[in-house]
Amino acid sequence: MSTRTQAPAGPNDSQGPDRPPAGNPADPQWAWAPYEPDDNRPWNLALAGHLYRRAAFGADGDQLQQAVADGPQRAVEMLVSPQTAVADFHRSYDGYEASANADALRAWWLRRMIQTPHPLLEKMTLFWHNHFAATGVRVNNAPMMRDHVQLLREHALGSYPPLLEAVSRDPALLVSVGADENRKAVPNENYARELMARFSLGPGNFMEEDIREAARAFTGWRVLRNQLRYFPADHDPGVKRILGREGKFDGDDVVEIVLQEPATPRLLVRKLYRWLVSETDEPSEALVVPLAESFAKDYDVAKLVETILRSNLFFSPAAYRQRIKGPVEFALGIVRGLEGMVPTANLGNDLAALGQNLYRPPTVKGWEGGRFWLNGATLVGRSNLAAALLSGAKPYGEKLDPLAVAGKHGHATPEAAARFLVDLFLQGDLDEGVAEALSKTATTGEGSPAERLRRFAHAVVTLPEFQLA
Amino acid sequence: MASNRREFLKASLGAATLVSFSPAVPSFLSRSVAAAAGRSDGRDTVLVVVQLSGGNDGLNTVVPYHDETYAKSRPTLRMPPDEVHKIDSDLGFHPRMGAFMRLYQEGLLSVVQGVGHPNNDRDHNGAMRDWHTARPGEAACQTGWLGRTIDGLFRTDEGNVPGVFVGPIAQPFGLNAERAIVPSVRSLQQWRLQAMPGPGGQTHRRQLVEAAKSPREGESSPLLKFVQQSTLAAYAGSEQIETVARAGTSAEAAGYPGFSLARDFHTVAQLIRADVGIRVYFTELGGGGIGGFDNHANQLGNHCAVLHQLSESVAAFVDDLVRDKLADRVLLMTFSEFGRTVAENGRRGTDHGAAAPVFLAGGRLKSGLIGPHPSLTDLDNGAQKFHTDFRRVYATVLDRWLGLDSQTVLGEKYEPLDVLRV
Repeated sequence: MSTRTQAPAGPNDSQGPDRPPAGNPADPQWAWAPYEPDDNRPWNLALAGHLYRRAAFGADGDQLQQAVADGPQRAVEMLVSPQTAVADFHRSYDGYEASANADALRAWWLRRMIQTPHPLLEKMTLFWHNHFAATGVRVNNAPMMRDHVQLLREHALGSYPPLLEAVSRDPALLVSVGADENRKAVPNENYARELMARFSLGPGNFMEEDIREAARAFTGWRVLRNQLRYFPADHDPGVKRILGREGKFDGDDVVEIVLQEPATPRLLVRKLYRWLVSETDEPSEALVVPLAESFAKDYDVAKLVETILRSNLFFSPAAYRQRIKGPVEFALGIVRGLEGMVPTANLGNDLAALGQNLYRPPTVKGWEGGRFWLNGATLVGRSNLAAALLSGAKPYGEKLDPLAVAGKHGHATPEAAARFLVDLFLQGDLDEGVAEALSKTATTGEGSPAERLRRFAHAVVTLPEFQLA
Repeated sequence: MASNRREFLKASLGAATLVSFSPAVPSFLSRSVAAAAGRSDGRDTVLVVVQLSGGNDGLNTVVPYHDETYAKSRPTLRMPPDEVHKIDSDLGFHPRMGAFMRLYQEGLLSVVQGVGHPNNDRDHNGAMRDWHTARPGEAACQTGWLGRTIDGLFRTDEGNVPGVFVGPIAQPFGLNAERAIVPSVRSLQQWRLQAMPGPGGQTHRRQLVEAAKSPREGESSPLLKFVQQSTLAAYAGSEQIETVARAGTSAEAAGYPGFSLARDFHTVAQLIRADVGIRVYFTELGGGGIGGFDNHANQLGNHCAVLHQLSESVAAFVDDLVRDKLADRVLLMTFSEFGRTVAENGRRGTDHGAAAPVFLAGGRLKSGLIGPHPSLTDLDNGAQKFHTDFRRVYATVLDRWLGLDSQTVLGEKYEPLDVLRV
């Protein structure tokens, strides 16, 4: 693999007289325009790695090489719309999930994330899982949770209105928020509150009165024996006043109303910004509004995601290494990089211990993420999980073999293999002094070459640098 | 112990390095540094919660051994007056709770009587959820009271671990937090930085610390610096725990009985000694769910066994803390989702009830019996009536012991009980 040549140039680097001016990340025109590499900001291994960390779960050596050769726009295109047959793949996995219990669901999803020809879809499914956060903590029913996440996947790169409508009728979600029963006599505000506060408008953009009236609109729905049923006698047919509109609204009408408010696309843009671009900075209104206005026209999620992924801002220092990997990203980055497979039932359990229990976000607010992933227990836990993955022993077995993978890519000597791994996992984002000190552990010291390289790989993936997405 | 910590800090990380490395040193480390230097910081009190799963029969735990109604209501289950451990002329501990009697006499155990709440749910799931959330009737409550406590204590810039669950079962909902991640500790081993296979494992572990610690040339991003600092703090905590585990005695040697709960308490004691900033420990007896205290039939043998496990395990734990002069920093409290009916049910068992006693143990308790023993004749649907809302117990623990604002956690102001010497 070609070693990277230089860091992505910042927008304020000094320029020669003949070079075009670097862009201003605060200027939305520049920020969201497609990134075109130039001498100031060349396309390289580091940016390819960045793309795969955000739009997928990391990459293997071939994928990184291919992306470097393809250039940013084609690389993004390959991730948004993969060429291979995806439908069959998903049908198989949906089949495996058909009779799965909670632990098996978790294992299947991790396996799907590792094997999928369309990792962006899984990354976005995980995004929606965090956004809607129906949770097995409150829904003690694997088929309901399975159906919920399959619903999210179906719409993950689709359109937001059908997704929101479907979620409003999803028993798993309604049970999670405590809205399993909503009758005219006793209107239940729980779903209306989540809908307005977190799935659409956001805090500050509605009144308590709007929630009360929306709750009336949603009356008549009850989850019985894990199915959502409508009882017309329990529905309040009267006039409701919601967000300045008046009418004999039902639940579908409320969903339509909140989708018409400009606050809704803005909330979604901000959430996607945090997921895809940066956790360290809130985007300014100036950056959000143009994307939100465009998104509001058709609520096309794939188009919005693609715009972000292709953009100057996405490939700038404002986004580069500005997120902390969640446990799933941390582990899968190692597995994908080493082109192997691991028993995902064990992995699901270990990731739960690190704070990310798939299908079971702690509350309906999802996983807070960011700096909350890291504490005195989870950081030791990450190191121990990495050791288990890389040790070549049970339970994760021998399928992750750094020496074999390096060899396959033509790096047979310990020095070359070490350099390969630093490029694979960090794209060279490592202080020279630290890299040199570490690579001595691969080339000298006790044990066989294979053992030394495993230790080296472990040292690389436990570096603070590797925790950054 | 202080000199061990000093040595450890110098050898593995260099306290000065860590402190100079970043402005926000985790407070548990600065406390350790202070302690190593001979100063102590008494602020870090610890709460140990013990869930008794299934609904503990308080009436046979703290027994009104002379009471006629008691005798008449429990033909097969009554505890004979000559077998109980007499607290006073009316009440005594269950015959198998000699250890509780001793702790009580030493002033290390108190009994808060008649604890419950209005409109209590007598269904296991609903009732336990009420005690876990401290929001009875709010079925949609998303967090546990200790989860909210932990969310309040967690600081991203410290990466501290404010609370843990110690035990083999699934983590109880009382700890469910919105943002902070609460570990489940099965053994101290999981807190140890595991070595990679092959020779050179120890060297490798040192290299991990070195690699995290080494200064990076040029200006690192704030996020990278944050992760570096968090990583070093985590490694330091791991070392502290490992030092304690190595230097400490096994549960057996330290006098703990062979019960699972006792082993969990031993782990808790080790973590307290390691002083890594954990304030809340949650343990469990009965196996969770419809647990071992739920004796609808043939209660006698089962209940004897679990009460014996409870009292022996708590006593071993308290003794261990007293030996190491840690008891003044620790408050243990038990709870169960409900008490049981006064009358036995015809199957030599009892059914779901209401009020029951809460036990407190530790080095800073006031007086022994708190509140009157609830009447055996003026009943609430066959069960003793409560007089002390359990949220007052929680408020006591939050305000007076942990030094937090109970109203934030509980949603309302509850009057704390005057049961602690603080």
